[in-house]
Amino acid sequence: MDAPADTLVYFIAGYAVIFLIMGIYLASLIIRYRNLRQEEDTLKSLEENDR
Amino acid sequence: MKTQPRLLLIIDFISVILLIIATILVFFVVPTEAVMGLVQKVFYFHVAAGWVGMMAFFTALVAGVAYLVTKQARWDRVGLAGIEIGIVYMLINIITGSIWARPIWNTWWTWDPRLTTAAIMELVYAAYLMLRSGIEDPERRARFSAVYAIVGFVSVPMTFLSIRIFRTIHPVVVGSGDPAATGAFDMTPAMSQTFFFSLITFTVIFVSLLWHRVRLADLSERVEQLKIRLSQ
Amino acid sequence: MMPATPFFRAMSAILWKDLATELRSRELLSGMLVFSLLVLLIFNFALELDAKARANVTAGVLWVTLSFAGTIGLNRSMAVEKDRGCLDGLLLAPVDRTAIYFGKTLANLVFMLIVAAIIIPIYSILYNQNLFIPGLLLVILLGSIGYVVVGTLLASMAVQARTRDILLPILLFPVIIPVVVAAVKASGGYLQSIPFDEISPWLNLLGVYDVIFTSVAFMVFEYIVEE
Repeated sequence: MDAPADTLVYFIAGYAVIFLIMGIYLASLIIRYRNLRQEEDTLKSLEENDR
Repeated sequence: MKTQPRLLLIIDFISVILLIIATILVFFVVPTEAVMGLVQKVFYFHVAAGWVGMMAFFTALVAGVAYLVTKQARWDRVGLAGIEIGIVYMLINIITGSIWARPIWNTWWTWDPRLTTAAIMELVYAAYLMLRSGIEDPERRARFSAVYAIVGFVSVPMTFLSIRIFRTIHPVVVGSGDPAATGAFDMTPAMSQTFFFSLITFTVIFVSLLWHRVRLADLSERVEQLKIRLSQ
Repeated sequence: MMPATPFFRAMSAILWKDLATELRSRELLSGMLVFSLLVLLIFNFALELDAKARANVTAGVLWVTLSFAGTIGLNRSMAVEKDRGCLDGLLLAPVDRTAIYFGKTLANLVFMLIVAAIIIPIYSILYNQNLFIPGLLLVILLGSIGYVVVGTLLASMAVQARTRDILLPILLFPVIIPVVVAAVKASGGYLQSIPFDEISPWLNLLGVYDVIFTSVAFMVFEYIVEE
């Protein structure tokens, strides 16, 4: 019986893409969240100072 | 509403565990397919990512209808979250589909129904975002986004059908299909289990991401409100 | 409060208004027509066609032309309403919102069919191909209906955005693909005299699309214009 085709490179490429994109999106969510929290805290303290 | 709800933390934890197990299954447990070799294993997460893309679009549809009926702004944020996640995971689906096609059919792109429909869905998502960026009034933006999500979603099955009647060389995995399609493979029980496990894993991941993205949108809205209050 | 004007009267009123306006100014039709002819011309040079290749490609060229000319017509048709404040006026009237939509859609359909009616003979002459086949005309009707039903809906949104001109094609084309695919295949089928059995799935698809999206538009349009 013939051996299966050697497609290791494509397998690695495929999973690299999957984890890379998932990771980037997750990172973007985290970064955006942190930035907004900082902004929220800053704005809140400004509001406090106004009073 | 600032710290993560406990349920969300649990879902996060479960999705990480599931992803680790799924990855182990794919990399080490499931057998290699006899003809295509290792690249066939990409299929497990490729389909799962496409599944997330479709769940995401469906979420946007439900959110759209809910918004039009209730007029609660939260639904608009859910819709946006759905579309955003859909874009990301459909992209994974498209790129892995291309990577899979290359060694099997010796081409980077196959104009087959599933891959083409995925690309078209991606364009609908992009159009949705462009619509949103062109409208400034938040209420109108929410209404129009809801309408387009509905129109877009309704069009997808017909798009798929039209291309399917048009041609197919996509592997037919479950059930019978066009016998002339190459790239088909039979699934052993181990493969089926890995396949369904991947689907479940990505479903949980989707729920987690959706919840997080909606929280992000809520936070963004709070910040906007603060800015408005401060400028008065 | 019950709409004072019955549905069909309101719809016809809007239809006649658009037709009458266009009869006087003719700017919409002339724009669509000139554009279509230019597209046909460009295709002549873009696709080096011998007689045989032409038969395969005619259906595609026809529908690409109609699709692009259609966006021009839709944009103009809705922009006029917005810019001259007609839409606000219409909305103040005690008229069922959906009647406005159907009136506009019918007007857009008429315009599109007029353009098709003109470019078909021209195409037949330029490319020495008979396009006056009843089946083909049916496909053009069904395809135009689908196009215009969704197009009017999306144009009424696009016209209110800052990026209005570029936005309509971007919103419309991904969603209109079933129509284009089915129309091209059915048109090609009739042109090449393929047995009806092979054409009928495409006609069915067109019919289903038209019915589904007319229903969707019926339910959804009032949300676009409520303010």
